[in-house]
Amino acid sequence: MIMEVKDFYFYYPNTTQPALKGINLPFYENKITALIGPSGCGKSTLLRSLNRIHDLYPGNRYEGEILLKNLETGEMENILEWKKEEELIQLRQRVGMIFQKPTPFPMSIYDNVAYGLRLQGKKKSEIDEKVEEALKGSALWDEVKDRLKQDARGLSGGQQQRLCIARAIALEPEILLMDEPTSALDPISTIAIEELAIKLREKVSIVIVTHNMQQASRISDYTAFMYLGELVEFGETSQIFLNPKEQRTIDYIAGKFG
Amino acid sequence: MLKRRFFLNKIVLFLSTLSAILGLIFLFWILITLTIKGITSLNLHLFTSDLVDNGLRNLLIGQFILAGIATLIGVPVGVLAGIYLQEYSYNSRLAEIIRNLSDIMMSAPSIVIGVFVYSILVIPVGHSNGWAGIVALAVMMLPIVVRTTDDMLSLVPKELREAGVALGVPKYRVIFDIVIRAAKVGITTGILLAFARIVGETAPLLFTSGNNEFFTLDLNHQFPSLTVAIYNLATMPNPQLVKIAWAGAFVLVVVVLIINLIGRYLVKDKK
Repeated sequence: MIMEVKDFYFYYPNTTQPALKGINLPFYENKITALIGPSGCGKSTLLRSLNRIHDLYPGNRYEGEILLKNLETGEMENILEWKKEEELIQLRQRVGMIFQKPTPFPMSIYDNVAYGLRLQGKKKSEIDEKVEEALKGSALWDEVKDRLKQDARGLSGGQQQRLCIARAIALEPEILLMDEPTSALDPISTIAIEELAIKLREKVSIVIVTHNMQQASRISDYTAFMYLGELVEFGETSQIFLNPKEQRTIDYIAGKFG
Repeated sequence: MLKRRFFLNKIVLFLSTLSAILGLIFLFWILITLTIKGITSLNLHLFTSDLVDNGLRNLLIGQFILAGIATLIGVPVGVLAGIYLQEYSYNSRLAEIIRNLSDIMMSAPSIVIGVFVYSILVIPVGHSNGWAGIVALAVMMLPIVVRTTDDMLSLVPKELREAGVALGVPKYRVIFDIVIRAAKVGITTGILLAFARIVGETAPLLFTSGNNEFFTLDLNHQFPSLTVAIYNLATMPNPQLVKIAWAGAFVLVVVVLIINLIGRYLVKDKK
């Protein structure tokens, strides 16, 4: 286990009703865990808690524990206890994130990937190496190697999304969060991202939010089904899709609501 | 009933067309008069000698120095204030108050700003000086820059900020490296338009920088500017001096027009 959510509640600003109610969920190392459920079930809210991006906006409240394994000591540390800016910056370097819409920075393809590395104070030669490695890792290198200096916003949507993945994996995170990473992409780009996720699993644990149940069954090892802010069922993907135990899971997978 | 509606329709159409034509007539009248009188008064001598020798050189240079330094002061303060409003205030009460005040300042009569600066920077010194003119122009420019920065930053999608933060980038670097860069064209355009606005102002300079017939770079004393000179020369009995005023006015309009066109071109290019 690399991360574990324990008895977790989340409140949006000025609300007394929690958006997430008592979530308990493990994330295993070098596995892909899919979060599925209808719109508004809280799957994105949960994902965005894992790197504490909710902290960007005032008034959001967490309760409970989200534990992250310290790779040096092997201990599980509660990320919700971290208060200092440096601790959050470190957390986000360890837990990367890919968004629904591709978010290339307004700079060149090379600089997009190099940006995070420069902030870490890496040397020029090392950055060159890591940029190439990350772009190869995200299966983009062959398409962009001759135009690294061009503006990243000129790439296609699918290429932009792979660039964002390259940007995230360049920092060698332990976990990669993906928030519906293919919902804005065409089928061919979608397949490319899915294949990439499966390949990346060797190096990084992935948590992916998806609306697309076929996608969850294609790529994930574990699946969590959420409904109305609660975790209904968690298990190996084959079990969730073939032998769901809860009636609500059966109904959702059968397409009775969603 | 129907007839009456048709009739009313025609009247409204007629009146609004008439109003538009009336407005355009005056606009073209001004522009045509200015162009004819301006161009016939133009000659190379105007650009090589100072007002004391019936030239515009010191006035043009003075105007750009005043507006330029005012921009150097107004832009950083205005952009930072815009950043505060959009990135740090979380739309608090204070931010609302600043936004409203800034909007009010934008429509404040420029003569009021001139008098205000006169009372704090000219009276204590005892004489007009360039710095007072600069401050008055900077004050005029500030709310425009604040507003444009605020608006342009609000157009940057929040996902871009989140993507920066999710990469472990400190917030201030996200703002300066990513958000500002994404809004660069809009903010630049706003600054250009604000510059075009202040470069043609007379009222804020009238009591503050005063006027000077000679070439000078000394901002501690009376400082030459084209707009104040036009104001003074236009009412002179000497027709030679009035011609200089026409030439100056024409040059000023052309400069402002060019800056505005560049601003518009930038906006169009972006779309």
